Amino acid sequence: MAFLEITGLKKSFKDHEIIRDLSLDVERGEFLVIFGPSACGKTVLLRMVAGMLRPDAGDISIDGSSVVDVNPEYRDIGMAFQNYALYPHMTAFDNIASPLRSRHLPAAELTERVHEVARMLRIDHVIDHLPKALSQGQKQRTALARSLVGRPSLLLLDDPLRNVDAKIRYEMRLELPRVLRRYESTVVYVTQDYKEAMALGDRVAVLVDGVFSQIASPHAIYDAPGNTRIARLFGDPPINLLAVRPLTGAAGIEMQVAGGTVRLPVDGTQLAGRECMFGIRSENVAVSLEPTDGIPVTLDAITPLNNRLVMLLRGTEGTELFASCPQGGPMDRLRGRHQAWARLDLAHAHFFDSSDGARI
Amino acid sequence: MTTLYLDKISKVYAGAAERAVDTVTMHIEDGEIVALLGSSGCGKTTTLRMVAGFETVTDGEIRVGPRLVNTLTPSQRNVAMAFETYALYPPLRVRENIAFGLLRDRVASTEIEKRVKHIAGMLEITDLLERYPPSISGGEQQRVSLARALIRNAAVYLLDEPMSQLEPQLRALLRARIKDYLIAHKMTTVCVTHDQTEAIALADRIAVMEKGLLQQFGTPIDLQERPANLFVASFIGEPPMNLFSAMVQNQTIAVLNERQEVAFHAPLPASERTRQLAEGHRIMVGVRPHKVHVAPGGSAEAATLVGEVTSNHWLGDSCHVGVMLRGCLLIAVANRDLQAPVGSQVPVVIPGEAVHVFDVETGVAIQHGLESAVALAV
Amino acid sequence: MQGKSILRAVALTLIGLFFLFPLFWVLLMSVMTNSDILRNPPSPFFVPTLHNYFALISGQLGGVVGTQKIDYMMNLFNSVVLSSCSVILSLLLGVPAAYAFARFKFRLGENMAFTLLSFRFAPPLLVVLPLLIYFQKVGLDDTYIGLIWVYQLITLPLVLWIVRGYFEDVSEDIELAYRLDGHGWLATFFRISIPLARPGIAAAALLSFIFAWNNFIFALILASSGKQPVTVGALAFITASGIEYGQIAAALVLSIVPTLVLAIFTQRYLVEGLSLGAIKG
Repeated sequence: MAFLEITGLKKSFKDHEIIRDLSLDVERGEFLVIFGPSACGKTVLLRMVAGMLRPDAGDISIDGSSVVDVNPEYRDIGMAFQNYALYPHMTAFDNIASPLRSRHLPAAELTERVHEVARMLRIDHVIDHLPKALSQGQKQRTALARSLVGRPSLLLLDDPLRNVDAKIRYEMRLELPRVLRRYESTVVYVTQDYKEAMALGDRVAVLVDGVFSQIASPHAIYDAPGNTRIARLFGDPPINLLAVRPLTGAAGIEMQVAGGTVRLPVDGTQLAGRECMFGIRSENVAVSLEPTDGIPVTLDAITPLNNRLVMLLRGTEGTELFASCPQGGPMDRLRGRHQAWARLDLAHAHFFDSSDGARI
Repeated sequence: MTTLYLDKISKVYAGAAERAVDTVTMHIEDGEIVALLGSSGCGKTTTLRMVAGFETVTDGEIRVGPRLVNTLTPSQRNVAMAFETYALYPPLRVRENIAFGLLRDRVASTEIEKRVKHIAGMLEITDLLERYPPSISGGEQQRVSLARALIRNAAVYLLDEPMSQLEPQLRALLRARIKDYLIAHKMTTVCVTHDQTEAIALADRIAVMEKGLLQQFGTPIDLQERPANLFVASFIGEPPMNLFSAMVQNQTIAVLNERQEVAFHAPLPASERTRQLAEGHRIMVGVRPHKVHVAPGGSAEAATLVGEVTSNHWLGDSCHVGVMLRGCLLIAVANRDLQAPVGSQVPVVIPGEAVHVFDVETGVAIQHGLESAVALAV
Repeated sequence: MQGKSILRAVALTLIGLFFLFPLFWVLLMSVMTNSDILRNPPSPFFVPTLHNYFALISGQLGGVVGTQKIDYMMNLFNSVVLSSCSVILSLLLGVPAAYAFARFKFRLGENMAFTLLSFRFAPPLLVVLPLLIYFQKVGLDDTYIGLIWVYQLITLPLVLWIVRGYFEDVSEDIELAYRLDGHGWLATFFRISIPLARPGIAAAALLSFIFAWNNFIFALILASSGKQPVTVGALAFITASGIEYGQIAAALVLSIVPTLVLAIFTQRYLVEGLSLGAIKG
């Protein structure tokens, strides 16, 4: 039996169905990431699990018992909010101590536990400050400390790194798992950043249009995305998606891509004659300035990204394609438009149905 | 289509103790794309606004081409600007907003029509042309503001945080298209941004600013391979540069871990700067995650260190591995196929040429690249 | 930039003088004898006297034509009782109601809130005579309870509308966080919502107090001399035998004191900013 079970959840606001039919099982001790573009309902979902909103239909159960009718204060949940939600009129110490105060812990034990968490999150030195005197990073850590100190069995983290500087965000991405491992809680983490989702999650649940379109490990989501939408959401630059129609030719299955002809491997027979979307990631498109047997293209622009070079290619009939390669090669100092040839690594090809975008 | 010279320009606001911009000098070539990069309050926006003419210049000269523009009003300077707050005209349609500058310059209407269509297509706002600014989203308004600036025939183009609100999916595409457009039309452009990935993607050269001072002005590769000081080194790059405390011991670098023990050493090449370092002098040693090799193999003579994997973030096209080596946490970027589960032992090579040495007190870079790789301290 | 600040200082002084001068004048008059006040031409030199205050407090007003008994201290007492009790009652009823309006979206919510506000639009003169008749029938005429109840028409809408705005500004996330910490909704209301809305509550209390204190028409019609507040009581100073300006001035000064004290006391709550940086953005 999973630790957190969400079944058939529905929620509407003013005739707009934000959550259509959500079902999810989170195992005990798992770090599950809910990923989705903004306004997709992630926060509404978390609020329902926390007890702030009631679902219109469906059930939420924690450790075997349904909690839909249970008030938030009885659910043994720790939550860290996107906008921190610290108590402005209390010091960081009192903020963190709040979950322990409601349990009427003896003062000595309470102080010890608060300091323990504060030390672990490196905010012990500012623990007597009011929230307005803390930096963004410190506020975020205080919010995190407050959610952890009660050692809740379920931890809900609502995009806690959203409002934090890029550098601190990367640091926290490393620290968070280290910190959470100490507590062995089950974690549900919400984010809009796909890198964060892949880095932190044991599994990622992709929430689009009020349903989970795929719940799988980061590897599975990146290498076998369930539909075009998911494929585009994971990866920077986004995956190239081109409409193709493979046909059986003399030399095997062929298709027209970006003005050139590409031969598919043998197991592409099921695609013959079918209109579909061909997906290939930029790292699987190799570009050469010398003529090769690849597709002739114009290299329009090179934008470096994280030690890779991202190249915008344009096929003879106008299709745009992304390719990328590691920095430190002959392309490093290239500027402006050039003639080039692109080779596609079909071992990493994806095919999707034209009408619903589902994976083939 | 023009050069832009900033000669020792400074800005002091009335009643302020510090300079918002402190003797900044930049010579921007004709058709060059330059990014002003820094965190908020560093002076980059003030510098841009001085070039535009919205702020007076306390000291120094600004020349657009051969003309000294210090005393000219913005409209006399022939600059096009895209504002951080978009500043669109609410009663005009998007189409009219974009065309506004061209109408003022009295360009022929067929030409305007053509250009608006082209730029709207490039920035993916064709569907919005007949809409009014208040009815479109922030990201869309930003693109309209960009279109309005880029469509004009100006001497210099000034873009203030031009893509901060863009949806992540569009970012890669529009960055590439805009770069292509700027290069194809030889547009001298100055971009202000706080996002170093944006600066590196777009710019020919980047001016890193902090507290009003220009820290370094160079190509993205210069900034990555030869950062002038600690600020630039830690600002540029994702993941950020690995930095460790160290000190000079017998002409070698002794790298210290969190417990202040010596974890590694590497011979310090003799140069003018390094000879001046006293025994025990405190330094910082940095190495970019992308240059750290994690894997069996590598050249036979490279000294190999073995550490424990504390984190492994698989990101699809690469993986970011955190390795604990003698109390020092090192982040490395490795190939996506690397098998390095958390808790396992992996060999790590830190090549000498990837190591940068900085002085702790001043932050200035002392040395880029050592002659041999970093080895474990005995 | 020197010129600007000098100009600003001059302007502020003039404005300050314009508003404060009448108060200053009244203060001055309260320590002068009637003959000093009425002297023509007016002279800045006089011997200050506390005689007017003594007269008021003792209830014996010595005039030109003999003494008169005026129980001003009783009026003062009535004002304090009526205003404070009205405000306290309004807070007890209004703050929870404001919270309900802010947090719970229920049908007719806006309509109800607006109806309550509309009570302030109606001129009191419109309702005071029917009220008098009803009160007399029910026996509430000339009672503290009756007056306090009527004063709710003035104070309650104010509390409701001001405090509702402040509750709306308190982020629901903070309340949820406190609930998840293990506290019930009542504890959340008292330890989180109210402290964070404190500036609004203080402002509403102060304003209501001032409006209740200044009310004239309800007090005039619905109370008799034993229960009349200072607004009505001041009328008694205008006698057939002449007007004792000094004593009126002293009475005015005394009538300002309670409100002033309250304003000073609540000022520190008014100045606190809301949220205090605990919420981003």
